[in-house]
Amino acid sequence: MLRYAFRLHRWGLVGFAAVMVLSPYFQTGTFAQSAGTTAAQRAAFAHEMSALAVQLSYLLPAPYRVDTLAGYVQWRAWGTFSVVVSVWAIAAAAGAVRGDEEKQLVDSWLAAQVSRPRLVASRLASFGAAALVAVMAASLSTVLAAARYEPVSVAGVAGKALALWLLMVTLFALCSLVAQLTASLRGAQAAGAGLVVVLYLCDIVARSQHSFDGLSWVSPYRWYDATDSMAPGGHLDVAGVGLSVAAILAAGVLTALAFARRDLRGPLFSLPIPAATRDVPPSPALAWPVARLVYRQRWTLAGWMLITALVAVFMVTLAHGAVESLLSLPGMRAFLTHGSSDPYQGFIATFWFGTAELLVAGFAVHLVSGWAADDTEGILAAVLSTPRHRWAVIAERAGAAVVGIVVVVAVGSLAAAVASAGLGTRLDAAGVFRASWPLVPFALTFAAVGAVASTRWPRAAIGVLGILAFASFMTADLPPLMNWPGWVADLSVFQLYGTPLLTGVFWNGLWAMLAIAAVGFGAATLLMQRREVGP
Amino acid sequence: MGSDEAAAVRTSGLSRDYGAGRGLFDLDIEVRAGEVFGYLGPNGAGKTTTIRLLMGLARPTRGSAWIFGLDCQSQAVEVKRHVGYVAGEPPQFGALRGREVIAYLGAMAGGIDQAYVKQLTERLELDLSRRFREYSTGNKKKLVLVVAFMHRPRLLILDEPTSGLDPLNQQEFYVMVREARQDGATVFLSSHVLSEVEHICDRVGIIRSGHLVKVASLEDLHRIRMHHVEVEFAGDVPVEAIRRAVGVDGVTAENHRLRCVVRGSFEPLMGALVGAHVVNLTSHEPSLEEAFLAYYSGAEEGVASPC
Repeated sequence: MLRYAFRLHRWGLVGFAAVMVLSPYFQTGTFAQSAGTTAAQRAAFAHEMSALAVQLSYLLPAPYRVDTLAGYVQWRAWGTFSVVVSVWAIAAAAGAVRGDEEKQLVDSWLAAQVSRPRLVASRLASFGAAALVAVMAASLSTVLAAARYEPVSVAGVAGKALALWLLMVTLFALCSLVAQLTASLRGAQAAGAGLVVVLYLCDIVARSQHSFDGLSWVSPYRWYDATDSMAPGGHLDVAGVGLSVAAILAAGVLTALAFARRDLRGPLFSLPIPAATRDVPPSPALAWPVARLVYRQRWTLAGWMLITALVAVFMVTLAHGAVESLLSLPGMRAFLTHGSSDPYQGFIATFWFGTAELLVAGFAVHLVSGWAADDTEGILAAVLSTPRHRWAVIAERAGAAVVGIVVVVAVGSLAAAVASAGLGTRLDAAGVFRASWPLVPFALTFAAVGAVASTRWPRAAIGVLGILAFASFMTADLPPLMNWPGWVADLSVFQLYGTPLLTGVFWNGLWAMLAIAAVGFGAATLLMQRREVGP
Repeated sequence: MGSDEAAAVRTSGLSRDYGAGRGLFDLDIEVRAGEVFGYLGPNGAGKTTTIRLLMGLARPTRGSAWIFGLDCQSQAVEVKRHVGYVAGEPPQFGALRGREVIAYLGAMAGGIDQAYVKQLTERLELDLSRRFREYSTGNKKKLVLVVAFMHRPRLLILDEPTSGLDPLNQQEFYVMVREARQDGATVFLSSHVLSEVEHICDRVGIIRSGHLVKVASLEDLHRIRMHHVEVEFAGDVPVEAIRRAVGVDGVTAENHRLRCVVRGSFEPLMGALVGAHVVNLTSHEPSLEEAFLAYYSGAEEGVASPC
C-alpha cells in the first residue's frame, strides 16, 4: 500500500521536483553574472539585494550573506521553495484524504483490513518519501550548479534540505488534519489553502514588523526560514527542527483520531440533516447565461472577495508601519518616490498591487479548477445534453470570469483605499483605478490559458496553469542568463502588468494580455467544438 | 427527409474505434417513432458509446446517426430540443439543491412545465429542497430522470436508467415510460438486465463486443432468456418427462434433486412436473453475459438481422 500511495504522488513529484531542480541552476547563473568577483562588487550587490528583499518580503525571507553564492541561492531559490512546496502539500493532502475517498480507494483499503491509523501513517510516509526525493534532487542540483562557480558546503545544503523536508511534511500533516473537517476534495483544498495562507501571513508579517516576531513562531514557515545553514556562518535551527517534528507527530495523531471518528466521505463534525428543509425557490439568476455560472461559483467568489479584502487591509496597515524604515535605504527612497512625491503611494504600488497580481491569478486558477471539475464530474455533459451550442459554454465561462475578476479587483482596491483613508493617508483615486483595471486583463490571461487547458486536458488543467505561472515567473530571470534579448522578459505575464500606479499603464503589455485572452478563449472554443465529452 | 416522417433514431455504419478492439463498429439500427426500443448488452459492449454518439458527446470514427432526420453531429443543438437524456453516471452537482438543478438545466432546455415537474417528483417521492450531495444514489438517479422527462421530449435516451432505483421506483419508472409512449414519445433505453427490457420494450437491439448481434422481437427475446432451475422431489424424479419438455435442456438428476436450464416459457416444465411431489423449486436468471454465451456459444460474432 505504501508503494501504491507513493505512486499516487508521482506526478506531483515530477512537476515540483522539476521546479526545485531548475531554480538553483538559474539562480547560480544569475549570481555569477550579476554579483561580480571583487569584495567591493559583492558588497554592492548584497546591498542592492537587501533593498530588493524589502520589496519582496511577501515572497522571500530576509537575506543572509547574499554576497556569497551559497547565501544568494539559499535566499533566492530555496527561499521561494516554501511557497512552491505549499501548493504541492495542499494538493497532495487533499488528494490523499478526500480524493482517494471520492475514488473509493479508501473503501477498498479498509475492506482489505488496513487499519485507519495505518492508512494515515502510510499516506504521511509516502508523501514524506516523495518529498525526500524532491528535496534530494534540489540539493543535488544546488551542489552541482554551484560547483561551476564556487563550491557550497554539502553539510550546509543538507541542513537546509532537512528544514525544507520538515516544512513539506508538516504542511502535509496539517492540511491532512483540516481535510478531516471537510466533506469533499474541493473543500479539503480550500481548507488547506486557507490554513496555509494564515500560517504564511503569520511569518511574513514578522519579516517587516519585528514586533510580530513572537507570533511568527506559530508558523512552520518561520521554522524553515530560521535555518540558514547553506550560507557561510549559517546554522541549522534546532528549535525549528524540534517544532516541526512535534507538529508532524501531533497532526498525525490528531488526523488518525479524527479519521477514526468520522464516516468515509463525511466531515468530522456535521449537523444532522433535518427531517424537513425549507423549500427555497431557485434563484432567478439560474435562468440567465453568465449569471447562472456566477451563481454556481458564488461561494468561491465570496471567499476570494474576503481573502482579497483582508490581505489588502493587512498590506496597507503593514505599509504604515514599514514605510519610514524603508525610506532609510537610499535605493528604496528612490524607488518609492518614483513617479510620485508620496513614498506611501510607491509602497502601495509595490506591495499591494504586487500581491494583488498573485491574488487575482490565484482566483483565475480557482475558476479554472471549477471548469475542469464540471468536465470530470459530468456537469458539462449534462449541459451539452440540452440545446446549447458548445461555443456558448466557453463564452459563458469567459463572461463569468470577467464578472468575478472585476468584483475581486474592485473589492481589493476598495478595501485598500478605505483602510488607507482610515489610517490617515488618502490614496489618489485616479491612480488606484489606473492600477486596478489592468489587473482584469492580467487575470484573464490565466483564465484564458486555463480555458484551453481545461478543455483539452481537464484533469491536468491546474498542472498546466502551474507550469505557465512558473515559466512566466522565470521568464523575467532567464533573458540575461541565456543572453536572450530584453523583450523576452516582457513575455512574462507578471511583466506585462507593469507598475501602473507609479509609471502609468503599460499599454504594450495591456494589448498583449488582451491578445492572449482573446486567443486563449478562441482556441478553447475551437477545441470545445471538436472534442469528446464524458468518460 | 422531413422530421415528422423520419425514424426517431437511425444509424448507418456508425463506428467509434477506441483501438484494441474496443468501441462500436458498423452499427445500423432504426428505431421507429413511438416505440420503446431496448438496447441490451453486457458491461463494456458499447451501449454507452452508442448513446454518447447519438447525443453528440462523442465523435464517430465513421458512419452517421440521425434523430428525427437531424444529423447528431452537425445538428446537435437542434437534436437536443427533442431529446431527454439520462447519463449512466449522474452528474455531480455538489451543493446545488434539487430544485436549483431543475432550474439550471430547465432554463437551458428552454423552460419547463412546473406542474409537470411537481407531478414527477411526487410520483418518484423526490425532495427537491435537498442539496444534491445529500441525495442517496437512488435519489440522484430520480433527479436525472425528472430532468430527462420534465420537458416532455419526443425522444428519451436513457442509459441504464433503473440502476440504483429500488423496486418500487423501478415500477413507477416503467409506468412513466409507458405513459410517455402513449403520449407519442419514443424511448431508447439501454440495459444489461434481460427481464427489464422484456418488461417494457417493443423491440430490442442486442450488442456484444461493439457489434450489433441481433435486433430482436419480444418472442426472440423469450428464446434468449433462460433460467437455471433446481427442483427437489419427495419421491421419484420424472427425468424423462422433463427431458421431453420443450425448451428444457441440460437435465441432470442426482438423488431426489434435478437441475436443468429452461429457455422461454416455464409452461412445458410445469406440465412435466404434474403429478410429481415437488418439495422445493428454485429458479435464477443468469447474467446477460452468461445468457449470451449460452445462446451464441460456438458461433462467431453475428451479423445483425434487423426486423
